[in-house]
Amino acid sequence: MCFGPFPLHQTMASRKESAASGSSPLETPVKQIQIDGLVVLKIIKHYQEEGQGSEVVQGVLLGLVVEDSLEITNCFPFPQHTEDDVDFDEVQYQMEMMRSLRHVNIDHLHVGWYQSTYYGSFVSRALLDSQFSYQHAIEESVVLIYDPIKTAQGSLCLKAYRLTPKLMEICKEKDFSPEGLKKACIGFEIMFEEVPIVIKNSHLINVLLLDLQEKSTVADKHELLNLSSSNHLEKSLQLLMDRVDDMNQDIGKYNTYCRNLSKQQQQKQQYLQRRQQENTQRQSRGEPPLPEEDISKMFKPPQAPPRMDTLLIAGQVNNYCQNIKEFTSQNLGKLFMAEALQGHSS
Amino acid sequence: MSRFFATGSDSESEESSSADEITPKATGTTFNKNKEAFTTNLILCCPLRFRFEELTNIIKTIRNAMKIRDMSKCLEEFEQLYRAFLKSKTIVDKEGVPQFYIRLLADLEDYLNQLWEDKEGKKKMNKNNAKALSTLRQKIRKYNKDFETEIASYKEVLNSSTNVISLCRCQDEESESDDDEDSEDWGSDSVDSGGESEDNEGAAASLAVVFLKKYKDGRRKRHKKIEQVEEEVDEDGEAEEGGWEKVKGGVPLVKEKPKMFAKGTEINSAVVIKKLTEILQARGKKGTDRAAQIELLHALSGISNENNLGQGILVKIKFNIIASLYDYNTNLAAFMKPEMWKKCLECIDELLDILFENNNIFIGENIAEDSENLAISDQPFRVRGCILTLVERMDEEFTKIMQNTDPHSQEYVDNLKDEGRVCGIIDRLLQYLESKGSTEEVCRIYLRRIMHTYYKFDYKAHRQLLPWVTGPFSEQDQEESEGEDSAIIMDRLCKFIYAKDRTDRIRTCAILCHIYHHALHSRWYQARDLMLMSHLQDNIQHADPPVQILYNRTMVQLGICAFRQGMIKDAHNALLDIQSSGRAKELLGQGLLMRNMQERNAEQEKIEKRRQVPFHMHINLELLECVYLVSAMLLEIPYMAAHEFDARRRMISKQFHHQLRVGERQPLLGPPESMREHVVAASKAMKMGDWRTCHSFIINEKMNSKVWDLFPETQCVREMLVRKIQEESLRTYLFTYSSVYDSISMETLSEMFELELPTVHSIISKMIINEELMASLDQPTQTVVMHRTEPTSLQNMALQLAEKLGGLVENNERVFDLKQGVYGGYFNRGTRTRP
Repeated sequence: MCFGPFPLHQTMASRKESAASGSSPLETPVKQIQIDGLVVLKIIKHYQEEGQGSEVVQGVLLGLVVEDSLEITNCFPFPQHTEDDVDFDEVQYQMEMMRSLRHVNIDHLHVGWYQSTYYGSFVSRALLDSQFSYQHAIEESVVLIYDPIKTAQGSLCLKAYRLTPKLMEICKEKDFSPEGLKKACIGFEIMFEEVPIVIKNSHLINVLLLDLQEKSTVADKHELLNLSSSNHLEKSLQLLMDRVDDMNQDIGKYNTYCRNLSKQQQQKQQYLQRRQQENTQRQSRGEPPLPEEDISKMFKPPQAPPRMDTLLIAGQVNNYCQNIKEFTSQNLGKLFMAEALQGHSS
Repeated sequence: MSRFFATGSDSESEESSSADEITPKATGTTFNKNKEAFTTNLILCCPLRFRFEELTNIIKTIRNAMKIRDMSKCLEEFEQLYRAFLKSKTIVDKEGVPQFYIRLLADLEDYLNQLWEDKEGKKKMNKNNAKALSTLRQKIRKYNKDFETEIASYKEVLNSSTNVISLCRCQDEESESDDDEDSEDWGSDSVDSGGESEDNEGAAASLAVVFLKKYKDGRRKRHKKIEQVEEEVDEDGEAEEGGWEKVKGGVPLVKEKPKMFAKGTEINSAVVIKKLTEILQARGKKGTDRAAQIELLHALSGISNENNLGQGILVKIKFNIIASLYDYNTNLAAFMKPEMWKKCLECIDELLDILFENNNIFIGENIAEDSENLAISDQPFRVRGCILTLVERMDEEFTKIMQNTDPHSQEYVDNLKDEGRVCGIIDRLLQYLESKGSTEEVCRIYLRRIMHTYYKFDYKAHRQLLPWVTGPFSEQDQEESEGEDSAIIMDRLCKFIYAKDRTDRIRTCAILCHIYHHALHSRWYQARDLMLMSHLQDNIQHADPPVQILYNRTMVQLGICAFRQGMIKDAHNALLDIQSSGRAKELLGQGLLMRNMQERNAEQEKIEKRRQVPFHMHINLELLECVYLVSAMLLEIPYMAAHEFDARRRMISKQFHHQLRVGERQPLLGPPESMREHVVAASKAMKMGDWRTCHSFIINEKMNSKVWDLFPETQCVREMLVRKIQEESLRTYLFTYSSVYDSISMETLSEMFELELPTVHSIISKMIINEELMASLDQPTQTVVMHRTEPTSLQNMALQLAEKLGGLVENNERVFDLKQGVYGGYFNRGTRTRP
């Protein structure tokens, strides 16, 4: 998976010029996100055209912060390129794109990025890293996750996430050791925070939609009532199982580490005790005590496994579980409804 | 140029070249009677001079070392001298111990004793020298005991002659001139040595020694010379009589040749034996012409035959001829030349003839040389030698020849024809040993016989089992049908070995061969029982590589046999080990795999090459692979269908899966070409329960010619296969599609798979009993009613997930325990409960 589009410092600088009145850390953090219908359609279109299967598409979000809400008014896709065209300059492309948009008087401020997902699997190291660099450069930036599969089932699924301030701190320090994470008191639940989304359309569009609603037949909405669930569930379970396996492995690793550590601690203790005994004996015999030795050199602590990945996996597992829960509850509702209908008709 | 000129110049050059070889003085030799005698002399002298020169050179250095009191050098040289003297033993035996040698020994001892007495001098010596002195002194004392008489006589002469040096001198001068006149050839070296020592030592005593020696030498030589002349005359006479041919004198180092039977007046056994030992002494030495030696031995056997010296000697000579035939190739890897091989076979045959005709010859390797009785007498002959070893060696040579012949050439077929002779010889020896040999020997020869029998398919016995094959038997068939059934022979021989053998190896080989033979002839149960009873599978890894190869061959044959009998599972199990490694070729000793040189150096490669099984004993590898893949298919496809959703499904055969994957990876799937592709295509058809397509892929023209026609009972195997395919396809079909049926009629099934109703019934019943199929049989309507209790894939998945989560929780708790210190307490718990 390739990294998301790069946050551009230059744009941030230009934004600062334009909004010089705002202090650098936002006093009132963004509480909701307002997305233009255009952005949603553009994202969906992007995936339809380029994404397939488990491949993801990514792009740049443009917009503005207005009081406590972030307005995303436009976006542009990030072109997919293979490893072999090396001379493709991503930054250059983004710059060009934004400059062109500015020329046609569109919001050109970088406020985040979007990414499609496959059955809700997006919590990964790559996402973390790129979102971190975004938030590091542009504080209010978010990542929009678009789930095409759910959308295809009839309910638009678009979610905005950003890293919590705690996670930002840890990422800044790059300390992913067990102790570091413990000190930071971070768990998988508080790694990402979801920001509520509001989709806003102009009145004209709303009118059009209402008009369309009138015209659309019942059959168009059948998708929403589809009762078959096993396929989706199976896929989700499969993915969940893979993650659980990964988790298991990580725990195994951590377990051996812990065991090694405690074993070494014991050895260290024993060594120190022996040493002390000997020293007391020597003292009683009137000999000088043994010279101090560097214990840390003798007992090198075993390499601690980085725990960040485990956290991410846990987050992902949580995500899957949420998805499945949501899906099943919806489906149960549908099933009950179908049952009632059947009872009624018969 | 005219022809005459050419010939003339030829002869001239020949003469001059031969003249060049000897000393230039030779022009004035007195007894240059004819050319033959002349060359004879030359040949005789060369080794003599060579050896003695070597000795004198060493002696010279010793004397130098003595002068500077360098004891360690002395010791070193003395040891060399000793060795050189041993080398020239044959000459010494003939000529007597050379005087200069005795002289040195005596002097050296005196000198050492003198040094030993000189206490002060010894103290001055450095450590090495002192040490060398003591060892040398001990050595020479011991060594001189052998030459006691010679040394004593030398000393005596020395003492008496010191007074009469002058007298001696004039006498010697005379004799020396005499020598010069009539003995140019051999005199020179002794004179040389004398001269050298004269240069080295100015002492009167040694001068006298030199003179004395010369004097004596001269006398001795003159005496010798007379003998020599006599011999030559004899030889000439004999050559004219045509009693035996003299071998060409082009080979300078075989000195014995022209001297065969010096005193030709009487050729008795003692002389012949002496001659024989003489010839044999040259054996194994550098520079000995082995071909000439063989010729010589042949000539000797001819002589002994002519003179009726008795069978004893003849046998002895024959033994040696065969041995030297084997010796002909010094390199172990090289194989015998065809003519040598033929000769060898003939010789062994003749030897066996003699042994059969004469009951009173005892042979054995444990008969000592000196207790041999070769002469004709009332006592039976006793000859040292082991015919069994010779025959075994012959068998090995045969294998080697077969290994080194291109198996696809006519030559191979020609060579293979000799197998009959080899078998014949082994058979004859077997008869001989059965009456005379020890049990051990009988076991060995039995094993040889088994080794030549086990891999051959007995067509005659096979034909008897097939009553429908009638018709005019050809003459050859008639001939073949005489003689014992190979199964009976194998049984008899192997059982004898099981009972009598005391070495594990022979028994192991015999068991393996016996199993192989059983398997080859489709006696599956006997073969399997024997394999299981022998417990060879447990400890075969400790055996040596050739036995392991035999074991592998046996297992493969066993597997193929099981397949023919329709025991697919057994076949698969037997072949699994060989096939799963992917080195079947190597494991069966049927060829080397290409590997880089890091894994195997040239030496190892040679060893491995020697282990290869000759081509005519090969097991067809394609057949083997096909049998394996087909049995894997018959097992794996239903299994895969039954466990489609099982996450912990194990593969029965990795190789088969590999082939399937290879097939899947093909971008464009054409009609199958190779055997593997056929099997893969058939597997795919079977997966769908389509037995007809599967059948047509497994059994068709191509596969018939490639594989199935290689079996002796082709028809049976094909029928068996069709049936198996039908059955397994039915099973697969039920596994795969049971979920879409509520009930299914057995009659429909039996029609679909062309199986009889009872068979379908039994298969389905079996599946139900084994809980593979959740269904029940409805007897009145003859239908299978599905219970539909099998979990759906989603349910399966959920179960798996639950299991995994259980594991996860367990792991997590373990981490937690560690944190809480319970884990540390775990170890203490044991100690707490003990008291």
